[in-house]
Amino acid sequence: MKILHLYHDVMNLYGEYGNMVLLTQVLNTCGIETELILQPLTQRPDFSEVDFIYMGAGTEENQKVVLSALSEAKEELKDYIFKGGYGLWTGNSFEILGKLLVDCEGKEWKGLEVFSYTVRQQKKSRLTGDAILTSEGLKEPAVGFINKCSYIEGVSQPCFRVLMGMGNEKEGKTEGIRYENFTGTHLTGPMLVKNPYFLLKLVSDLVKKERNEELSQEERQALLTGVLAKETAAYEVTLRELRKRMEK
Amino acid sequence: MKKFITIIVCKILRWIGKILGKGSSLPGKIALKICPDILERVTLPPYIIAVTGSNGKTSTVEMIAHILTENGKKVAWNKEGSNQIEGVTTLVLNSATLGGKVKADILLIESDERFARYTFRYIKPTHYVITNLYRDQLTRNGHPNWVYEALKDSIYPGVQLILNADDPLVSCFAEENQKVIWFGAERLEQDTEEFCGIYHDGKYCPHCKSLMEYRCFHYDHIGHYSCTGCDFKRQEAEYKITKADLREGVITVNSEHEIHLQLKSLYNIYNILAAFTVASLVGIKEEKIAKSINGFVAKNGRVVTFTLGNRKGTLLTSKHENSISYNQSIRIAAACEEGCEVLIIVDAVSRKYFTSDVSWLWDIYFEGLNRENIKSVLLAGTYCNDLAVRFSFTGIPEEKLQVLETVEQAVEVLNNDKKEEIYVITCFSDKDKFLQRVVR
Ligand SMILES: [Zn+2]
Repeated sequence: MKILHLYHDVMNLYGEYGNMVLLTQVLNTCGIETELILQPLTQRPDFSEVDFIYMGAGTEENQKVVLSALSEAKEELKDYIFKGGYGLWTGNSFEILGKLLVDCEGKEWKGLEVFSYTVRQQKKSRLTGDAILTSEGLKEPAVGFINKCSYIEGVSQPCFRVLMGMGNEKEGKTEGIRYENFTGTHLTGPMLVKNPYFLLKLVSDLVKKERNEELSQEERQALLTGVLAKETAAYEVTLRELRKRMEK
Repeated sequence: MKKFITIIVCKILRWIGKILGKGSSLPGKIALKICPDILERVTLPPYIIAVTGSNGKTSTVEMIAHILTENGKKVAWNKEGSNQIEGVTTLVLNSATLGGKVKADILLIESDERFARYTFRYIKPTHYVITNLYRDQLTRNGHPNWVYEALKDSIYPGVQLILNADDPLVSCFAEENQKVIWFGAERLEQDTEEFCGIYHDGKYCPHCKSLMEYRCFHYDHIGHYSCTGCDFKRQEAEYKITKADLREGVITVNSEHEIHLQLKSLYNIYNILAAFTVASLVGIKEEKIAKSINGFVAKNGRVVTFTLGNRKGTLLTSKHENSISYNQSIRIAAACEEGCEVLIIVDAVSRKYFTSDVSWLWDIYFEGLNRENIKSVLLAGTYCNDLAVRFSFTGIPEEKLQVLETVEQAVEVLNNDKKEEIYVITCFSDKDKFLQRVVR
C-alpha cells in the first residue's frame, strides 16, 4: 500500500509526521505492507498509484506555495478524490481544496476547486483552542487542538460536530469536510496518534480496500490493547482533561 | 497638572502594590486610564533598549542590566518582567521625577513578542535586540512566522536593530531596515554539517523558497546558511563567538574575551552575546563587559542541583511547548559520560493557560537520548502516556523506559542506591512538583 505524505518538509508545523509513522505501523501490524512516500516541496507529486494521501499544517505563506505547486496537478487530484480516493488533510492544508481563499491581506487566491467552499483568513488574532469533536459512525469523540487564522463558509458535508472548540464558521457547530473517503479537518498535529478510535476506523477502511473485508471486532480489540495500548491510555486522559475543562 | 497627578497616582499605587506583594501592571493600567497619552508626555532617557525573542529574553535583560549597572550606568528596568504596555508604563512613571523626566541613562525593556507592537507605539526603542524566533508555545503563538509578522509591526524607522545572524527568520528583519548590527557564532568545534533534529525550519529560503545550503549547523536550524536561489544569506557578524569549549564551559567573544558558562551548553550563548553587543554599543569597554558577565549569576534558577537519598541530580528547566529548549537539555544529559538516568515530567502543559495539547512532543529530538550512557528514562505526569507513545518511536529499548502517572511515584522509583546521576527535564509549570520532594 502506497502512502503519500505530501510536502512533509513544509506542511509540518505541529509534529504531523507522527500520523504517518503510526498509521504505517498499525497497517503493518494488520499484515499490510506499506511504502511511505515522503514528498518534498521540490518534487511534483504523482497521485496515479497512491492509496492514501496525507498533508499537515503549514504557515499561511507555505500554504500558498503548496497551493501554487498543486495547481499543476489540480485535475489529477480532483479525479483522485472524486473517484473515492483515501486521504486525510489536517490543519490549514485542506483549505486550499476550496473555490476561493482570501488571505490575511485581503488578496484572493483561486483554490484547487475540488470543493466549493470559501476560506477567509485574518491576522488580527490567532484562533486556537482544544477541541472535542464527534463524527457519524464513531462512538468515541475525537480530541485535539485547532490552530488557525481562518473561517470557512459553504462546507456542504462537514466531518465533525463540535462539542468543544471552534467550527468551520465563526460560532459554527460543524468542523472539517468529508467526501466519500476523504477527510479534511483543522485538528492539527499528530491527530491520528491522539485518536486511536478514529485511526482504527481509517485503518479498517484501508484494510477493506486492500483485502475486501473490514477488520473484525476481535482484530480491533487486539489492536487497541496491543499496538495502540499507550495511545488509548493517552486518549482517555486527554478526553478526561478536556471534559473537566468543559464543565468549568 | 494631569501628568503630575498621573505620575503621583502611579507611584503611590506601585508603593502599595509592593507592600501587598502585587505585580507591577495595575498601576500602569490605571495611569493609562487617567492619562492615555502619558507616555508621550514624559521625557525618556537617551537609550531605550528593547529585547525580545522566543527563548531567553529574561536572562538577556538581567545580564544587560547587570553589566550596565556594574559599569556605572543608571538603568531603569523591569525586574518582574511585566512586559506588556501596562507594566512598562508602571516602570517608566515609577522611574520618573514628578516633572516627568525618567531618572536613568537607559530604559531597558523586555518585550513579549506578541505585545511589542502595542508597547512600542508609545515608547520607541533606540536599540532593539531580537535574539531568536523558535517554535514556542504554538498553542498561543500559532507559528514562528505568525510571531514574525506581529514583531515586524513593532519595528519603527530609525531604530538600531541588533539581530542574531545565525537565525534565518530573525535575519529577515533586516530587509527594510538598514541599521543593523549582527551578532553570531563563527564555525564552532561541535558544529555539524548535517541537520540534526526533527523539523528543519531553515530548509527553504524564507524569501524565494529555494533550498538553502548550510555550511554548518550550531544546533537545530541555527547556523551558517545561504540560499541556492537568491542572494539571501547569513550576514557576517560584527560581534561574534569565535570559540566554544563546552568541556570546559568557556566561550570566546571577538577572539579575545573568555566567558565562563554556568551551564556547559550552547543554550545561553546568544543571550550572552546579545548582552555583550548591547553593552558595547552603549559604550562600555569589552574587557569590562567580559568581566561583568563572568561575575554574573543568573537568578532565574534554570538549573537546580539536588540530592535524592544518596543520589545526586540536576534539574534542567526546559520550556514545555518549546522543542529547542528541550533539545538543549537533552544534549546536556546525553553528554554525561559517566552514565545517567533521565526523568521527564509533563504534568501541566502551561501554568498560565489551559491546554492538553502535546503535539510539541513530536518536535523534540528525544532520539538524542538513545545512547549507551543513558541507562533509563522515566516518563511521568498526567501526560506520561503521550510521552510513552512518543518514546515508542525513538528507538530507545522498551526495557529502558518506565511510565509513571505521578511525580511522587517517579521520586520513589529513583530513590535507590544507584550511582548514576539523575537528570530531570521539565518546565517551570512542573518543576516544583519534583523539587519539593528532594533536597536542594
Ligand atoms: Zn532565496
